[in-house]
Amino acid sequence: MSANIDTKQLIACQQCDALYDKPELKQGQSVKCIRCGSTIAERKVDSIERSFNWSLAGLFFLVPAILLPIMGVTLAGQYHHASLLDCILVLIDRGFFMIAILVFLFAIAVPIVRLFGAFYITYSFKFNKLKPSLLHFLRAFHHLDNWAMLNVFMLGIVVSMYKLLDDTDLSVNMGLFAFILWLISSTMASAALDQDYIWQRLEDEFVD
Amino acid sequence: MSLSINTAKESNLALCPKCHKLNQLRDGDSHQKIQCVRCHGFFYQRKPHSLQYTLAWNIAALIAFIPANLYPIMIIYSLGIGDPSTILSGIGQFVDHGLYPIAAIIFTASIIVPLLKIAGLFLLVYRVHTGVRLRPDKHSKFYHILEFLGPWSMLDVFVVALLVAVVELGFITSVAAGPAINYFTLTVIFTMIAANSFDPRLLWDKKQSNE
Repeated sequence: MSANIDTKQLIACQQCDALYDKPELKQGQSVKCIRCGSTIAERKVDSIERSFNWSLAGLFFLVPAILLPIMGVTLAGQYHHASLLDCILVLIDRGFFMIAILVFLFAIAVPIVRLFGAFYITYSFKFNKLKPSLLHFLRAFHHLDNWAMLNVFMLGIVVSMYKLLDDTDLSVNMGLFAFILWLISSTMASAALDQDYIWQRLEDEFVD
Repeated sequence: MSLSINTAKESNLALCPKCHKLNQLRDGDSHQKIQCVRCHGFFYQRKPHSLQYTLAWNIAALIAFIPANLYPIMIIYSLGIGDPSTILSGIGQFVDHGLYPIAAIIFTASIIVPLLKIAGLFLLVYRVHTGVRLRPDKHSKFYHILEFLGPWSMLDVFVVALLVAVVELGFITSVAAGPAINYFTLTVIFTMIAANSFDPRLLWDKKQSNE
């Protein structure tokens, strides 16, 4: 209980609070907690470069994924298609405001903000434009961790296709491919982001 | 525990939940609000009143789950005649059409996962509170599964949202969302907040204080 513990030399498991000496990790290595088995720290390979490229790709696919029609149906000679944005607009039109807002948040807003966030952070690191405001930015970024549901929406598309295949003519549009690519690149962008390393760099730069 | 493991709490340290920086507690008050030296965010050593919050959100989720299953989630209009279906009858239609994998996916996402989450969190809160047969290693894995499964319950909501937008052929056929969709979304969000409110470190704290 001495007052001069060096917190820089210690890490704790987020899941069970076990305290360890901080290990020196090489790229690609990770440490697991011996008590609860969860990963405590991980040093990802080429984190900044990979995350930057994936998020750039994600930004490229973002607009077509939202605006292009995902799928369309033909029944009795009539054809109608809808994009991700149409889902929101139709729900608002029919008066389901709560669902419209939540679908907008989980399937559009949060993924976009996370993608821009990952892009901005990796951009700042790649071109050495570190600012103290990044500390606040990254903390805000963490609040959105659980709320991006692109993968769930993808499964939703598959299920509703099965539902429609039964008694209508279903056509798949370009929006679906753009959406899949957007899903892949934004998932990879956030998976490649090495947050321990980023925090460490920011700390060395701006704290003390 | 064969190895004696020192925890951050015993060493008078607190881990920032956002940036994972260890912070030193001033004058050893474990309930104080701490400002992280690295990210300047405020946090507590343990989530305050974690069990109460988890329990409260959990009960709210359970209450919202009842109308979510009683009211129709989707109404299919064909030639002006409406055909309402609840979550369960929608699954029944898939079974009737022989689409068993899809029926299984929807049944898992909309019925099993919410119920498993609610029941599981009740169990975790009970075990942490009483310390009866507490197995932190097993229970923290269980908690992670619950946390991971949470968002997948939104599946049915997204399906309905897509169908409403795509199937819009005027008088011939159209799909409208039913009132249950609001309650169901609330269930999913409440269980996600409940899982977020639970602090898995309490499992280990309780185990250690029992020994």
